[in-house]
Amino acid sequence: MISSIYLNSNNDSPFISGGSGGGGGSGRGRLSLIMAAVAAPSTPAVVFTALAGLALVAVIFYGASRRSNNSNSSSSNSSPSSSSSSSSSSWIHLRSVLFVVSSSSPASCSTSDRGRLKSPWSRRRRKHALSPQQWKSLFTLDGKLRDGGIKFLKRVRSGGVDTSIRAEVWPFLLGVYDLDSTKEERDIIRTRNRKEYEKLRRRCRQLLKQCNESFKLNEIGEISYEGDGESLIQASGSPSSEDATSARQSLSSEERSPDVEYSDDPSSALLEGNDVNNVDAASDTDSTDSDSSDGPEVIQTSPSNEFQEDNTSKTASTEISSSQMNGPSRLPNNEDFATWQRIIRLDAVRANAEWIPFSPCQAVIPESRAIRSAEAVGLKEYGHLEPNRIFHAARLVAILEAYALYDPEIGYCQGMSDLLSPIVSVISEDHEAFWCFVGFMKKARQNFRLDEVGIRRQLDIVAKIIKFKDSHLFRHLEKLQADDCFFVYRMVVVLFRRELTFEQTLCLWEVMWADQAAIRAGIGKSAWSRIRQRAPPTDDLLLYAIAASVLQRRKLIIEKYSSMEEIIKECNGMAGHLDIWKLLDDAHNLVVTLHDKMKLETSFR
Amino acid sequence: MGAYRADDDYDYLFKVVLIGDSGVGKSNLLSRFTRNEFSLESKSTIGVEFATRSIKVDDKVVKAQIWDTAGQERYRAITSAYYRGAVGALLVYDVTRHVTFENVARWLKELRDHTDANIVVMLVGNKADLRHLRAVSVEDATAFAERESTFFMETSALESMNVENAFTEVLTQIHSVVSKKALEVGNDPAALPKGQTINVGSRDDVSAVKKGGCCSN
Repeated sequence: MISSIYLNSNNDSPFISGGSGGGGGSGRGRLSLIMAAVAAPSTPAVVFTALAGLALVAVIFYGASRRSNNSNSSSSNSSPSSSSSSSSSSWIHLRSVLFVVSSSSPASCSTSDRGRLKSPWSRRRRKHALSPQQWKSLFTLDGKLRDGGIKFLKRVRSGGVDTSIRAEVWPFLLGVYDLDSTKEERDIIRTRNRKEYEKLRRRCRQLLKQCNESFKLNEIGEISYEGDGESLIQASGSPSSEDATSARQSLSSEERSPDVEYSDDPSSALLEGNDVNNVDAASDTDSTDSDSSDGPEVIQTSPSNEFQEDNTSKTASTEISSSQMNGPSRLPNNEDFATWQRIIRLDAVRANAEWIPFSPCQAVIPESRAIRSAEAVGLKEYGHLEPNRIFHAARLVAILEAYALYDPEIGYCQGMSDLLSPIVSVISEDHEAFWCFVGFMKKARQNFRLDEVGIRRQLDIVAKIIKFKDSHLFRHLEKLQADDCFFVYRMVVVLFRRELTFEQTLCLWEVMWADQAAIRAGIGKSAWSRIRQRAPPTDDLLLYAIAASVLQRRKLIIEKYSSMEEIIKECNGMAGHLDIWKLLDDAHNLVVTLHDKMKLETSFR
Repeated sequence: MGAYRADDDYDYLFKVVLIGDSGVGKSNLLSRFTRNEFSLESKSTIGVEFATRSIKVDDKVVKAQIWDTAGQERYRAITSAYYRGAVGALLVYDVTRHVTFENVARWLKELRDHTDANIVVMLVGNKADLRHLRAVSVEDATAFAERESTFFMETSALESMNVENAFTEVLTQIHSVVSKKALEVGNDPAALPKGQTINVGSRDDVSAVKKGGCCSN
């Protein structure tokens, strides 16, 4: 068998065809891939080696033939004389099964790395996703993750999570559960979270009802609202009877949740600031008052630190937002809850169907149940949709509305449905999906802030990464007045969702979440470098990935593009042309090279 | 890229922006005009998207570069880049949702704040195919358009009704403004070498680009 083969490829591998590559990964230097049997062989790699030895040789020829002048010291290189004609497609296929174990290679240090040793991350290809067996084995008897979750996060960082256990794993990645929580603690949190979510939903229904009544009072004689108003009235009216009769048999927590407060005094001032305050503070004061059964649990199981931070920050922001919600009058330059409700419904029915193959149990929903769930949240205009998509849309509405109440400073902003849709597809319980979304939004909410500070900061970081890595490209961008990196705006806002396929998105997000979870848990650089030097976890992995996607196209941008418009078009057209693991490799490379520099830069700002 | 360059044979390049509330059909107007496509499920636009199409106006080939963006008011970080250099705008509302018409005044103000005074604006009442759901009368819209000196047309991106007309009208009007400008400047031949950028107004942004070296440097 082949014992050890070094496979070299230049930066301009056929992967990044379309004129990218080039010096974009100049820091990458050359890839040294050690195949199979060398060390720590992976099953697919071995199998592959056995089955496709010939193809492999062909590709090695190919790789070597592309190696050009910069000869590598790898002695075992089977320096072929003939140039191979192996197609790029077989190359692509091969890359997906190649298992990379190479450690740093001095040859790969380019000038921009200033002699820094390359991290093993730079040779990484996707390892195995965290498997159900591994996941199970990571827990102690009392249901605690071993070693504070370090091993767990490392696995996810390198290969993502197996589809079948995503629903279980994500709450850990997203901070719904602490990494060092026990099973018992998690059960308590889960119960509390469910109740809190249901409470938010009750408020949503009350607000919907309230809005309708205001519409009715204010807009009499005005044809314009009749369409909207009527649908809202029906919507809010129907769930009460719906809930009482048939909905309980269904699984969705939206359909199941008891509609206690519907029978309450409808004229109560639900839209007043105080009440909104209560919604925000639902986890503390309000819950003890109004829902005594929640009380003890809420107080005793004090959740993670961030959770409390979150609450305080939210209460502070409530003053502003409660004024926005004061009645349905539309203040200029201000969005109110009614606006959010409208846009949420608009976006929910146009969520695409990509998730369906990944969510088999949600893919088959009886029409009656789909319609019931739509009615329960006042969703109309879904006539053109299949039942499973109606159901999906209804769940999006329920959770997004609850979130708008939970975080009124952000409320609802277009793009948030893009972020929620994968979570809803993976997690079948609304309340669990909601809290995962809350965890996701802890960081992502910056993207949707009214003052745009979050977005600008992130665009700024992408610009810095590009500037530090590739001053030539950056100068070109400056010349085109594109150095604000506005062209990656969409990637930043919806975290690559529009450029990647469903599965690719989940992989990227999981790796990114693992980094963020490591930082949350205080697993710093030292824990990672104990084994070998690696890219430290960063809060900004996404931004490095975005910069990497631009750098992959540096040649094209420099040589062919002479306006920002062209770069925007290129970036918008990336959809379907990205290799997520290659992108993550490049991103991790950038982290290794630039992390300290970036940190220094931002701390002196 | 190839496609983008392939239709490079034009006399003028005009940037036109689509504005208006979420869900009024801006993206579908764009796709109907540039690709003759329509989708009931087009996702909300994040950031900006644009597409181009060239048409003939008075013997000249006019390439329209039409920009589309999110309708939600919140997305304003992009505002300046979005409006920069625009010489035409379609201000779109949904004839079945009155609130989108009410917001037209606000959109118009924002447009005026960020663009040159000579910008050609057309008020567009989209989804006119939904006759039974109409919530904004033609009279109201016409009155508004007259008051604000904008053009007005009702369209249906779904039925392909008036979409072509609306864009063509805007492009024709821009062309006539630009021609007039060029004529004024043209008295001094040295003032406008071939391939020079023509500004509709006083801004130094690229507004209307006469074909020449400027785009192919």
